[in-house]
Amino acid sequence: MNIKHITVLVSTGRHPTSGVPRHCRNDSLALTIGVDLSQTKAADLEVLHAGNANNPALKDYLALGADQINVIPTEPDSDIVDSFAERLGDADLILTGSRAENGQDSGLLPYLLAEKLNIPIIANALELKQEGDKLEVLQFFPKGKRRRVAVTLPAIIAIHPLAAIELRYAYVRQQQGKIIALTKPAHVAAESHLQWNIAPKLRKPIKLKAPENLTGHERLLAAITSENKGGTVVNDGNCVEKAQVILSYLREHQLIAF
Amino acid sequence: MTMRNPIRISPNRPQQSSPNGLKRIVLRASDTIEMYAQPKPLRTVNNPKASYLVIAHSERGSLSDHALQTIAAAAILADAETNVLALILGALTDDLANFGADQVIVISELDFEHFQPELELASISALIDSIQPTRIFMPDNHTGDGDLGRRLIARQKTKTAATQVIEMNVDHVATYQAGGTLIAQTTLPEIILLAANAVDTHLPFIALAQRSKQAITNLAIANSYQDLDMQTIAATEIALEEADFIVSAGNGVENVASLESLAHALQASIGASRVAVDDGKFSRDKQIGASGKTVSASAYLAIGISGAVQHLQGIKDCRHVIAINTDTSAPIVKRADLSVIGDAEEIMRALINLIAEAKSANLKVAA
Ligand SMILES: Cc1cc2nc3c(=O)[nH]c(=O)nc-3n(C[C@H](O)[C@H](O)[C@H](O)COP(=O)(O)OP(=O)(O)OC[C@H]3O[C@@H](n4cnc5c(N)ncnc54)[C@H](O)[C@@H]3O)c2cc1C
Ligand SMILES: Nc1ncnc2c1ncn2[C@@H]1O[C@H](COP(=O)(O)O)[C@@H](O)[C@H]1O
Repeated sequence: MNIKHITVLVSTGRHPTSGVPRHCRNDSLALTIGVDLSQTKAADLEVLHAGNANNPALKDYLALGADQINVIPTEPDSDIVDSFAERLGDADLILTGSRAENGQDSGLLPYLLAEKLNIPIIANALELKQEGDKLEVLQFFPKGKRRRVAVTLPAIIAIHPLAAIELRYAYVRQQQGKIIALTKPAHVAAESHLQWNIAPKLRKPIKLKAPENLTGHERLLAAITSENKGGTVVNDGNCVEKAQVILSYLREHQLIAF
Repeated sequence: MTMRNPIRISPNRPQQSSPNGLKRIVLRASDTIEMYAQPKPLRTVNNPKASYLVIAHSERGSLSDHALQTIAAAAILADAETNVLALILGALTDDLANFGADQVIVISELDFEHFQPELELASISALIDSIQPTRIFMPDNHTGDGDLGRRLIARQKTKTAATQVIEMNVDHVATYQAGGTLIAQTTLPEIILLAANAVDTHLPFIALAQRSKQAITNLAIANSYQDLDMQTIAATEIALEEADFIVSAGNGVENVASLESLAHALQASIGASRVAVDDGKFSRDKQIGASGKTVSASAYLAIGISGAVQHLQGIKDCRHVIAINTDTSAPIVKRADLSVIGDAEEIMRALINLIAEAKSANLKVAA
């Protein structure tokens, strides 16, 4: 089948220190893939955002290749999944980033949307190409592993931040592009279960530790032993013996397989 | 008039001789001597009223530290009437008793390398329906569990959930929001996807870790996905940020060729300190540290690197750091898990030879 309708979902971010609104780089990767694919496949492209149409960060996406951005107006209690689902009925391919930078950053949106639309989702995508009636996706795994999977369309593909794509910024495009606020506002969410209490990040997270009933002496011992933190130091022996120590260490911790 | 018992210090009180011949009384000697031999108490749940379910994929028969932390987290949070059940997808050879799993169920067919999310989701949903756990814990990683966990959250809409949990205790979880500038807290949800290193896996007890196997039941699940293959990029081509084994050179490395052949023998990626890069021995993209790359290799071999703070910043996430240096007082020695004091060139050559010998011995065994 041919890809006819591509939708890219873009969220907005902020600069971590200055707080200046800006695009979310990961979503821009998805946008660039969408723009390129829509050109080669002669498919139409919709760039969609749920939020405030006046957010200056959206202009970045115009400069990065979107001709027009459609914005679903939201309130704090909006359910954007339902609103997206309603609008995405005939999209063959939906592209998203992996994690937003503005809200909960949970990386859940693509999954919730896939469940709602009852279509497949592939996350951590680095490359896409169409093979017959399927879309072939290269998936990121840590430690240099890559998996290839194929999926039938329609599908949601969440792009990984390490996708090897160059962003092309053009000021002209930013001036020419349009941001359109859609008239139909977002759905109101059913009551959410969790109440999040949000505060600026002022401290480091505290590790979960098992409580231990230690005697004073044991606590003292623990305090003393954790003092000498450095590892083993090997001073003695010739260079072959020293090399042997390194090799044994690597073996002991299963860092090598010979 | 009765006389009170005088407090006497037994002359036979346990004691040790220090190296300079002084007698030292050993406090609580019976405890300290047996400290290492003493087995940890066994945690058992006699009348389980609830259960916590931990789900994680294994890799080559073992669990990652992250997965073990997730099991330990469930064991720490579980009260005396809550069973901790670990559901392992993929084969498992490790023993999970030390990490607090009361029961371990292994479904070896659901290997992480194969993409079969619908089958996995159906299998774990079946188990969840039958045991009705009060909470579900999964490591939020890129090796299958983060993906499966999100599919589960999307499927089980009525359950409360949190992802990328960076802090947790009996009454709350916390995650970063807005690109890490805010911290958000809420009460413990029913599904918890835990970030790495949020838990200390040291437990004062062990658990039974009773094993059982489970076969996949619903093989007839429709699969919209087709699994093509899994590839591994050669160590030399892999980006440093992603590399699992790095051999890194500093100012103490004279001969770049030796370093390269050592890296080749270990199938490791090559990194360098700023001085080594500034000298023109390595290209700029190899620089590790504050003004270079931040790496998170399992093994980091620092050769002739002093370990300046700017360099250490780049390797803070490395698991095993091994240093080769002529100077015992170099700061890298404090950071390293193993430091070998000696000349870089000599030890590199010796290592290359030993590795070649070990590999050819392996080949003979295999032949
Ligand atoms: C703003 C700023 C940013 C910086 N950013 C970085 C950065 O990103 N990355 C970085 O690496 N540095 C960075 N630096 C530089 C850093 O402070 C150190 O100068 C640098 O890391 C030192 O490199 P080195 O350890 O290779 O060299 P040296 O400090 O010269 O250490 C060489 C080590 O090799 C040992 N040695 C010597 N001969 C031998 C031998 N034959 N066999 C074995 N060992 C031997 C010595 O004992 C010594 O410990 C930065 C500095 C500044 C001010
Ligand atoms: N308000 C939004 N408008 C458009 N797309 C969004 C919005 N929020 C999230 N997304 C998309 O969903 C991805 C994952 O977001 P999240 O689940 O919020 O971490 C992002 O990378 C975006 O592609």
